[in-house]
Amino acid sequence: MPPEGSVFAPRKPLSPQLKAGLAITGAIILLGLLAPWIAPHPWDTISMRTRFLPPNATYWLGTDEYGRDVLSRLLMGTRLSLAMGVGATAFSLAIGVPIGLAAGYFRGWIDEALMRAADVLMALPPIMLGLLVLAVTPPALWKTALAVGFVYVPQIARLARSVTLSLANEDFIQAAKARAESTSYILFREILPNAWPPLIVEASLRVTYAILLGSALSFLGLGAQPPSSDWGLMISEARSFLDRAPWIAFAPGLAMCLLVIGINLLGDGARERLDPRLKARVKA
Amino acid sequence: MLTIENLTVHYQVLGGAIEALTSVSLSATKGSTLALVGESGSGKSTVALAAMGLLPAEAKVISGRVLLERDDMLAMTPAARRALRGTRVSLVFQDPFSVLNPSLRIGEQVGETLVHHRGFSAAQAFARAVELLDEVGIVNPAAVARAYPHELSGGMRQRALIAGALAAEPELLILDEPTTALDVTIEAQILSLLERLRETRGLTMLFISHNLGVVRRIADEVAVLYAGEVVEQGRTQDVLRAPMHPYTKGLLAAIPRLGQKKTHLAAIPGRLPDLRSPPAGCRFQARCPFATPASAAPQTLLDLGERHVRCTNAAALRDAVWPAATPMPPDAARSAGETVVDVAGLSKSFTRSRGLLGALMPRLGRDELKAVDDVSLSIASGEVLGLVGESGSGKTTLGRTILRLIEPSAGTITIAGETVSGRPQRALVPMRRVAQIVFQNPDSSLNPRKTVRELLGRPIARFGLAPSGEIPSRINALLDLVRLPSHYAERYAHQMSGGEKQRVGIARALATNPRFIVCDEPVSALDVSVQAAIINLLADLRDRLGVAYLFISHDISVVAHLADKVAVMYRGKIVETGASDAIMNAPQHPYTRRLLDAVPRLDDGAD
Repeated sequence: MPPEGSVFAPRKPLSPQLKAGLAITGAIILLGLLAPWIAPHPWDTISMRTRFLPPNATYWLGTDEYGRDVLSRLLMGTRLSLAMGVGATAFSLAIGVPIGLAAGYFRGWIDEALMRAADVLMALPPIMLGLLVLAVTPPALWKTALAVGFVYVPQIARLARSVTLSLANEDFIQAAKARAESTSYILFREILPNAWPPLIVEASLRVTYAILLGSALSFLGLGAQPPSSDWGLMISEARSFLDRAPWIAFAPGLAMCLLVIGINLLGDGARERLDPRLKARVKA
Repeated sequence: MLTIENLTVHYQVLGGAIEALTSVSLSATKGSTLALVGESGSGKSTVALAAMGLLPAEAKVISGRVLLERDDMLAMTPAARRALRGTRVSLVFQDPFSVLNPSLRIGEQVGETLVHHRGFSAAQAFARAVELLDEVGIVNPAAVARAYPHELSGGMRQRALIAGALAAEPELLILDEPTTALDVTIEAQILSLLERLRETRGLTMLFISHNLGVVRRIADEVAVLYAGEVVEQGRTQDVLRAPMHPYTKGLLAAIPRLGQKKTHLAAIPGRLPDLRSPPAGCRFQARCPFATPASAAPQTLLDLGERHVRCTNAAALRDAVWPAATPMPPDAARSAGETVVDVAGLSKSFTRSRGLLGALMPRLGRDELKAVDDVSLSIASGEVLGLVGESGSGKTTLGRTILRLIEPSAGTITIAGETVSGRPQRALVPMRRVAQIVFQNPDSSLNPRKTVRELLGRPIARFGLAPSGEIPSRINALLDLVRLPSHYAERYAHQMSGGEKQRVGIARALATNPRFIVCDEPVSALDVSVQAAIINLLADLRDRLGVAYLFISHDISVVAHLADKVAVMYRGKIVETGASDAIMNAPQHPYTRRLLDAVPRLDDGAD
């Protein structure tokens, strides 16, 4: 409870984890945006004389089997991986959240139908599902993103449903009904704002899963195509040379790790900041 | 038996420490019952936890001792403390619905202590549990011991918990609000049981409660806690009959009493001080009408004969009376107006499907539960119909069915001359403007993501009651009506106290200028002093605006205070209805009589 008379509690300083998350994710996004200008070497020029060079003063992260600079490829790949993760997650939120809200609010046969469909989708391995979606059309990165997003719709819908189930019992929903609010007002203006915090955390996790799944599909030839420098593709291509030139796989692996950690910190920190009830608990 | 000396406990929180208890000293002699009373935040549960050695990790004992005979609970090793809990001290919690493990049989849970601390075999412990269940007055104890918690009613579960506490053969029983979650008739039974056990077993009891009527019945001594300090302590009869500390006076004046209908209850203004930096002087000073300059100095617990009072002015205030609240002057003379709500033959039944059988043979496999059974009532403008009944009697269902928030099974509803029953929801928009609802739990009824401005502005905008330019002034007027300052418009629910949130809930119901409001237990989640202020507010609004209320409550004293007419509900039916005074003074139906007899009273006047 804030002391008597204060209208706003003073803005809380950013928590350390939120700061760290912002710093890591921000730095990666910035590097991705500036990649064409800061990459020290061309990312796609094949040079047989510089194959498999370990990290050195010229090639900071070494070179790959075609003699291309790993650092430059990594920087250029940032954009692809981010676009894949964020695009796919945005797609699964856009489809999954309305499904979950409807299932949790209406219950009954609507809930049954939507959730059984979600169960069927979840029963299939994600990679199989992605293959099913992609197998019928020629590969392209944006299609991979949609396919990956589609794969994660059930998870998002399930979470949105469970949050909605408990919120639908709150009296403020009854109060909204008692002033004859429309169903869409209740779903999107009363329930959704309260459902965001857990959804944001889940979405941040999904971004990282999406990057990984997108990479796997790229590896199978159904996403980014060589010579593209998608991180997943880089790792899968470097796999055969792990014993001779581990740095080729190591660099994109580490970058992916950093991005995953950064986004998760960001998501967790954001949840703490966004949920007023959580804030109240910390203050009490 | 139990002696607490100079106990100071702080809770570590973000950015400081909360002084939960400050130099609390208490003692209970063998075989006596000491009651701790206080409102939420007073620290009474912290005392219980400290006495059990169960303080949470963020609590820090700054000073003090908790002595059981000669053993200091705070100084001994965790293992020794644990052994003590299994043998000499037992605790009974407030909520019998969440304390029992749903997947263990009652007998196993009652006998658990014996297995852990006395080396009983499981079979011996179970046999002993049956004896204990018998001792706490459970009919057919052998069958109950084999039952699971969900098969038992609330009162039976509380009896089982008491039996479990007795298994350790304790000398000291600590009860933390043991009857708060129960209906009054069940509460009365549990209190009789505790009285009997005290006699037969010579138990010492530390009884924690916010209900002074219950305390009057069970306790020999009472200690009143305010903001972590004992402000008054003495023999229960003396303290309740002639309170000396201003806070105790205010608390007693705020409670509505059967048979003493006053126009207004006394309310205690203000709120608890911030315990992160409590005031150096009297902690009640800011809310006290008797405060003098001497109150700003640190207060000590004065010894006044048999009574201890933490107030410099205690002797001078011995006969002072807490000032009564002045009602708002009514805008128009109040007269029984035309009928606003008319309900005839209203029923609502819920069907519970019985699994597969229900799916195959709908007629055979269904259980029908009549939550509301053929109810008729009418309320005129400016009139309050009080609806009383115990939990499960169908009060809430009735209130919501009248507003069509629950679809009725049969019957007609007319609100403000318009037929409400038998019409599609989309035809109910005009009714939704004139009929509103106030909920029990202000935490659940206000959307936590919206400011007060949004909460109050939405109904006005929804029904187009004012052009958007005028909405801010309307919001100010509403806040004024429920006596909240206008800067509260920018607050979120979590930035307000329980009473303030409930005022916002009332303001939201008033935003559409309704003629009828269903008040569904609007004060039962609130502390006594806050409850009084909200009841006064509702009475004022009725007098000023001529609103009709259906006032639902399980607390008969509150209903008797506010209502003009009373309807008593029992198992979905209204068993008795009539003028409030007539029902309180001369109840006709046996159930009404039982209900009234069970209410714990504060004075003998109406007994």
